[in-house]
Amino acid sequence: MGIRWKGKGAEAKALADPMSKIVSQLKCSLIEYDSRGLLSGFSVLIEANEEQTGLFNRTCFGRRNITTEKDKQWFQLSMEEAFYLSYMLKCIKVVGEDNCPTNDDELWKYAISKRNNFPNLFKAYSHLRMKNWVVRAGSQYGVDFVAYPHHPTLVYSEYAVLILSVEDDNSNGRLRVWLDFHCTLRLCGSVAKTLLVLHIDKNCSAATSPSCLESCLVEERTVTRWNPEQSRENQTTVQKEPSN
Amino acid sequence: MEDDERERFRFYEERSDCDSDSEGYVEDLVDDALCYSSCDIPKLQLRKDVSKAQWIEELGMAEVVEKKGKMWTTTGIVRDGKIYCSIEETLFLAEIGALHIVNGDDTYLSLKDLYEKIAIGNDGYGSSWESFEVYRHLKSLGYIVGRYGVPWTFKSTKINSIAENGASELDGTSCNGSRHNIFITEMFTNLQFGEVKPMFDVYLPNSKFKKSSPGSPCFLLCRTSDHPPSKQATEDLETRCKGHHIKFCNVEHGRVNFFSFNKVELPILP
Repeated sequence: MGIRWKGKGAEAKALADPMSKIVSQLKCSLIEYDSRGLLSGFSVLIEANEEQTGLFNRTCFGRRNITTEKDKQWFQLSMEEAFYLSYMLKCIKVVGEDNCPTNDDELWKYAISKRNNFPNLFKAYSHLRMKNWVVRAGSQYGVDFVAYPHHPTLVYSEYAVLILSVEDDNSNGRLRVWLDFHCTLRLCGSVAKTLLVLHIDKNCSAATSPSCLESCLVEERTVTRWNPEQSRENQTTVQKEPSN
Repeated sequence: MEDDERERFRFYEERSDCDSDSEGYVEDLVDDALCYSSCDIPKLQLRKDVSKAQWIEELGMAEVVEKKGKMWTTTGIVRDGKIYCSIEETLFLAEIGALHIVNGDDTYLSLKDLYEKIAIGNDGYGSSWESFEVYRHLKSLGYIVGRYGVPWTFKSTKINSIAENGASELDGTSCNGSRHNIFITEMFTNLQFGEVKPMFDVYLPNSKFKKSSPGSPCFLLCRTSDHPPSKQATEDLETRCKGHHIKFCNVEHGRVNFFSFNKVELPILP
């Protein structure tokens, strides 16, 4: 795969430290300390010691809240990140306002009540994370997520990700008209190499519990512009060679 | 490459939608300025070698009666030893002054007459203004463009792409009444919402192109209704056109845009 590394030592660094390994370390540390996240709005706040701070940063989970507290750090996890750590990796517990840990179904229903598109959002997020891609928010670029093959300090992002739910008629979805394509591709050009559309099984949006997600399929398609002027320049030299 | 074609390329390169690496706004401003300025618009050179063709109304095509220049290796289909041009080919050549077209009674068909022909109803001889814009854009850049499902010549034993409506093409002994079916494929009738249909076979620029053995097209160019194709429609098309690379085009305000929707499988990273 044509991964675009940032700087000379980047590739070696990434190979020495595969993302799956770092995530695994984060998981172990969180379990060891019986880490709990505090549900707040559509985010989960979590305390991290020094080791966990480093691991959160290296795996790109959460954003750090800058505070003056010295011995511990606070991270803010998005709902998909929190749910991934809690449901998929089973390494944190999310507590509600009554200080009781929520179970998966309760948290799921809560998330859907805040964003009814949460099932699709989460399916897409976990689909990519399970393949050890680093997934970050993409809203500032007009897309759902931005996916990196490793840490953003080491690589350029490969994909700008847009989620499309497979309905019979996509009239309520994204990329409905050609202008949407032009717009999104234009934005994408400056942030990632390619626009990736994830088509998610229509059963996913109706998932009443996270276990329903397992049977939902995700199809990956790239959307690229073709430039006939540039392609021609690359190809005509080949054509001029004598044929057999 | 013909001199006039080169001239045409330059004209188009200045006008075309520059989707360059920088994706900057500068190119667009220049492009618009050129579009709207009344002077400094590059002019096409007047040709010395002008071919002649006769428009045959029943076929919706022009039969070449006098061939001049090298462009005939990549333009027009060959039937019974004669070359026939579709309306888009005819119009393209007329615009660059490479072809004079006459009626059956030898009266001259002007550019205006040809523009009127392509505008007729929703089936202007199997074409439309938008499909002509696409054809012209690619042809000007040197690509070789043929209608999907229409063989370049009957001599070729291999149909170069899956011909959905071309069943009658294979029977060379059709009588006059059904000759119309041989040449026109119903590709340009109104499409349903989200429906897609292959429109052109596109080959890379190739000075050694032979109509008798064109090989496989580089890609099939598909048109859609004014909405982008639905996922289902894209998949159905891929199934029908198995083995061929597919691209989609969208024409807006005189700009032709090309897109690919490729199925991928992201690798599982270490």
